Amino acid sequence: MSETGARNRRRDLRFALTLAVPAVAVVVLLLGYPMGYALYMSTYEWNDKLGQLPQFVGLGNYTAAVVDPQVQRSLVRTLWFTLVTVIGGVALAIGIAVLLNREFRGRTVARVLLLVPWAVPPVVNGIMWKLIFDGSSGVLNAILLGLGIIDTPVQWLADPTLAMNVLIFAEMWKLLPFLCLLMIAGLQNVPANLYRAAQIDGASPWRRFTRITLPNLRPTIMFALIVQSMWSLKVFDTIFVLTGGSGGPAEGTTTITFLTYIVSFSNLDRGYGASLAVIGMVLVLLVTLVWLALLGRRDRTEAR
Amino acid sequence: MTTSTITRRGLLTLGGLAAASLGGAALAGCVPAQQAQNPGNAEGPLTEQGSPGGEITIIDDNTNKVFDQAMFDEFEKATGVKVKSYTQGNFNDLHDRYATLFAAQDTSVDVIMTWAGWSAEFGQAGWLTELDPSVVPDDLIQPALDAVSWSDKVYGLPKFVSVQTMYWAKPLFTEADVDPDKAPANWDEFVTTAKALTTKGRYGYACDIGNPAGAYQNFLRVLLLNGGTMYDADYKPVFNSEQGVEALSKFAELLTVHKVMDPSSVQITNASDLGDLFAKGQTGMVFNWPSGWAAATASGSKLTKDTVGNGLIPGMSVRSASIDGSEGFAISKFSQNKQGALAWLKYASAADAQRKIVEQEGWLPTSKTVLEDKAIVEANPVVKTYQETTQYVTKRFGTPWSSELDQIMAVMMSEVMTGKTPAKEALDNAVSQTEPLVQKYLKR
Repeated sequence: MSETGARNRRRDLRFALTLAVPAVAVVVLLLGYPMGYALYMSTYEWNDKLGQLPQFVGLGNYTAAVVDPQVQRSLVRTLWFTLVTVIGGVALAIGIAVLLNREFRGRTVARVLLLVPWAVPPVVNGIMWKLIFDGSSGVLNAILLGLGIIDTPVQWLADPTLAMNVLIFAEMWKLLPFLCLLMIAGLQNVPANLYRAAQIDGASPWRRFTRITLPNLRPTIMFALIVQSMWSLKVFDTIFVLTGGSGGPAEGTTTITFLTYIVSFSNLDRGYGASLAVIGMVLVLLVTLVWLALLGRRDRTEAR
Repeated sequence: MTTSTITRRGLLTLGGLAAASLGGAALAGCVPAQQAQNPGNAEGPLTEQGSPGGEITIIDDNTNKVFDQAMFDEFEKATGVKVKSYTQGNFNDLHDRYATLFAAQDTSVDVIMTWAGWSAEFGQAGWLTELDPSVVPDDLIQPALDAVSWSDKVYGLPKFVSVQTMYWAKPLFTEADVDPDKAPANWDEFVTTAKALTTKGRYGYACDIGNPAGAYQNFLRVLLLNGGTMYDADYKPVFNSEQGVEALSKFAELLTVHKVMDPSSVQITNASDLGDLFAKGQTGMVFNWPSGWAAATASGSKLTKDTVGNGLIPGMSVRSASIDGSEGFAISKFSQNKQGALAWLKYASAADAQRKIVEQEGWLPTSKTVLEDKAIVEANPVVKTYQETTQYVTKRFGTPWSSELDQIMAVMMSEVMTGKTPAKEALDNAVSQTEPLVQKYLKR
């Protein structure tokens, strides 16, 4: 490379870096600051109600969290919620996207209607499902009673297992539009001639789905799995609204993020709460790495 | 002339260094642990000093409507202090809002609403200003003072007294051939009445155990009704006593055995929803706060002043008992106008404001003088019941560990009410979880 070329290149890079600095600064201040502060707080016994100056405890909060039964229970709930909403959500989204990708009358209307849940703010979503599943005046009980399916109203949000299922249902309703959109977009990249060739060769619809659609959707599916896993692991707003800010009944919907909130803001144990927040962050990273390891490697292999 | 080649590694290093520098600079701005809290009360309890003035900002819950511009104008005229901002929030949301304000050492808020649990929590955290006994009125009713105190320190002045009493729907009593003018005198009579009131689609009794605070309140009430207590004199948890087990068992039987408790009780998260249920005629009896009277007799209710009964809560092994939910105002430790804030506290707990709160909203007065006022007693029948209640135990046990205890109680109550765990086992578990909390917060 000539000296002039190198100089130009350096100048371009300096210019590019200068342009990037404001964005980097914002990211560092808005993400780096709270993350760094959370890490800092997590190394202290920082419980405001103790009425004493925070004491440095190193990794003490983390070792306490590992053996804390409440944390263990919340982690199990979080993983269960994530597993169902991510796997179930992505599977349903693929199915709906394939259907909406076919030519039929009213397809445009169906695609627009699909977006409705996405347009509903999370808090409104929670309130809506609370009104539907309310034990005494809920719409669902009224319908089921009217149809004669149940004799007495079901207390959907009174049993921990039922409440978790309601939460999963409400979240699935909210997340499906985005996942479907992703899948529909992914399907547009599948060459139509592949389907035509497979049809000429006599491949059944199922074989066309498993041998053409799914492999070609893999990058989209991986992205959907990663993004949805992040959202599911940090679910909060729907739980807060649906359970009146309690994460109940009997902790039945208290995920790791919700427990972090309770510990930090209700119990005022900010040091321990910060350690739980960090554990939640590590969990998100681990799950992302798992998906990358499972699906990313196959992508790279096939790309060669 | 020397030239240097810009490599990808070099750029990454540069980027990393830039990010680290920015991150370091950002972290340098964090509040260090040693400055994060201002424990204790280095400046001493607050006394009245000179004439107050300036402006104050108040964040209250939404239980009072009398605190309006007209009252603020009167307050300014009387004290010279201007209420710059008065906002209300939902009670269930306020704790976290206050905690955030305090943790950030926010100086923009002078006065907050408090009750027994928060007085203990925020007081022990060093976030509330301790008041000198000289500024506390002499004629305050004890439960009102308890609501703003913790560990022999007074952190505020009460704005109203709130004690639970029993409400019943007289038309439903008449329909069930039960004397509408007489409340059940004991728990057995209460169960019998509840059975008589229960028909298809309507239940004799309903309560609000759908959130942690509700679970605690409902357990505490039956515990006191059976002569039990939460702690011994040394704050050792003793609520798994025989009285506690029997009380919880009898309470759960309302749902699981007698089937007279509205099953939606386990989903109801606040007293106002419970009041609505009662006003709609969907349940015959509730134990509720004084505001329940106003809700039951408001326009839109199926009941009127003549058809709502109010009396003592029937006891199990004692005649009656109740729980306290009195509220008050406290001054933020970080307030820049503590004298102005103190003037508001005194104004809100004085007789004029108290009369308005009792007459217009149905809450109970904080001072003995107003409580004995005949006009007040006639204006609100709950006041008369409250006078009777004072003969019996009324407690709340607000402590710094109230939030954690509420969560323990929520799990315990859910397990017992759904029949998954016997009352004895559930209470033993709850006590074993509460003991370390007491140790932790009392620093034994």
